[in-house]
Amino acid sequence: MARVEFRNVRKEFHDQQKGTFTAVEGSDFVINDKEFVVFVGPSGCGKTTSLRMIAGLEHQSSGDIIIGDRVVNNLHPKDRDIAMVFQDYALYPHMTIRENLSFGLRNLKKPKAYIEQKVQEAASILDLESMLERKPRELSGGQRQRVAVGRAIVRDPQVFLFDEPLSNLDAKLRIQMRVELAELHKRLGATIVYVTHDQVEAMTLGERIVVMNKGAIQQIASPTELYAKPRNMFVAGFIGSPAMNFMDAELDGNRVLVNGTVLELPESMLSSSLADYDKKKVILGIRPEDIYGEDFVQNVKVEGKMTTSVQVVEHLGSENLVYFQVGERSVTAKVHPETKAYVGLEKTFILDLGKVHFFDPETEMRISD
Amino acid sequence: MRTTVASRSSSSAFMRFCRDYGWAYLFILAPVLLFLVFTLYPVISALIMSFQHYNPMNTTWIGLNNYKTLFQDDVFWKSMRNTVIFTIGTVPVNIVITFVLSYFIFQMKNSWQTLFKATLYLPTVASGVTLSIVWIAIYDPTSTGLINRFLGLFGIDPVIWLGQSSTALFSLMLMNWLGSHGAGIILYLAAMGGIPKSLYEAADIDHASGWTKFARITWPLLKPTTLYLLVTGVITSFQVFISVYLMTHGGPNFATTTIAYLIYDTAFKFYDFGLASAQSFVLAIMIIIVSVIQFKFLSSDVEY
Repeated sequence: MARVEFRNVRKEFHDQQKGTFTAVEGSDFVINDKEFVVFVGPSGCGKTTSLRMIAGLEHQSSGDIIIGDRVVNNLHPKDRDIAMVFQDYALYPHMTIRENLSFGLRNLKKPKAYIEQKVQEAASILDLESMLERKPRELSGGQRQRVAVGRAIVRDPQVFLFDEPLSNLDAKLRIQMRVELAELHKRLGATIVYVTHDQVEAMTLGERIVVMNKGAIQQIASPTELYAKPRNMFVAGFIGSPAMNFMDAELDGNRVLVNGTVLELPESMLSSSLADYDKKKVILGIRPEDIYGEDFVQNVKVEGKMTTSVQVVEHLGSENLVYFQVGERSVTAKVHPETKAYVGLEKTFILDLGKVHFFDPETEMRISD
Repeated sequence: MRTTVASRSSSSAFMRFCRDYGWAYLFILAPVLLFLVFTLYPVISALIMSFQHYNPMNTTWIGLNNYKTLFQDDVFWKSMRNTVIFTIGTVPVNIVITFVLSYFIFQMKNSWQTLFKATLYLPTVASGVTLSIVWIAIYDPTSTGLINRFLGLFGIDPVIWLGQSSTALFSLMLMNWLGSHGAGIILYLAAMGGIPKSLYEAADIDHASGWTKFARITWPLLKPTTLYLLVTGVITSFQVFISVYLMTHGGPNFATTTIAYLIYDTAFKFYDFGLASAQSFVLAIMIIIVSVIQFKFLSSDVEY
């Protein structure tokens, strides 16, 4: 296995009619040996392009890509010692599963016995033994996905690349395959680069997550850190479901004024950075799970009260999502299902002020603690 | 009383059926009638005629005599041989040419693709008569003919391309090689465009060479198109007529007489419609047998 490094990598696409489009902008990161790193971001953010550049399927416009201790800028995909699982699985439809799994090894002219052993090993790991003589069209989506993973495993590559491999599966199967992929990573101890637009997938699978937007890396951090200390409003809004709420606010000493409501901040929040914003406008961010109905508050050390009218209630069984308006912004609270809430109810919500975030309204960067 | 109730109920069911589906059946009726009058009726008439000595004034039933005459006729066997040679000599070659052209056109930019598709499709939309006249000029036996003029540059004497047994059939085959790829190219290009790019990318990562990608991915995935072109090509070749009729009249010495031309000759030169019908049915049965064999042996590993 090996580390992967991007040094100031940039990728531009040129189109005669549309002009130049920058897909990846000055990308710098290191993926450590045996690490499971997830690239996440909305469509068109450059995550798949980054993955394809590691694979050698796209050539970077500038910068260096290093796999292991080799600069692979000019190496053909086959010489990079990587394996890739494609979004559509890219299984050869006219070949049996056995032929699909052994295709790469046969091209490498490996001995037949070795190929057979590797195919059997992969089939055993992925529970494909009974399907080796079938063709891809005879398999379910989940089984095809496993074959695609199997085709990567048999080659023992330095780096595994996964391009949204679960996006074609239904919700239940996706959860199952997520668990299987996490187990596979533990078992193989492989360096894995995984691309997804699903932040839940990213949070559950990744040891570290690279959040991208508009071709630029927004933050590289562990799932916990991304959740607790998002670097900017994009990361704060992208990570977490439902997304973080943002409210226009103004700081005044240890108090914050939100749409006519005064909230008193705890001492611990008053960092020197925040002090620079005294008497200035800021954006207050709070996650839906940190807002409670007054009648069902749990473990909140510093409370901020806000009374408003309930607009929509969604009953999800284990919790309710309650929507209300603060100024011009819609705010969501994820509350206990027994919290009393119905449309039109004038209700007091409790904000856990120990968990709020502040952002600069111009730069949208987080004002750090 | 019961009978009246039953008849009323069946009549109201019929009315309801007419109201619900009447228009649908009326629209279906037009093509069905066309098929019955212009396809099924002539086919059945020809089948009956093949067992008759047909004469508009006095038709007589002669059983299998037309078929016996047919199988004892040297010209029939010669025309059969010519048809088979023409088919074997044109269909595979055409498929290879079509495939190679498509493969190169597929690598081009869109604008170039459009130009080549349009250019190569032109002979398909042009009338067979026009093409034959052009090729008669190309094969002109004097030294002014295009091919003879070209050969003259190398000091080769003019060849009577269409007028001698040794070159006539080959000349018709050459004309076929160079002029009937438009439809095949469109089909191959569509099929090539339908192969997911990710298969080639996966193959690139899987150490596949250019040849491996062609032999193990492109060719197998184009098999349904190839099979279609093979079957329709064989059927068309078995029925080759226009070029023979216009360029050689089946000659010289029956060297280019194909079954389709023989049927025409028998029916409209000798007015032996019974024998011509028998020849038509033998041709139809041959086409069915060859098509079934092609499907049986070639479609087993086709991935649709």
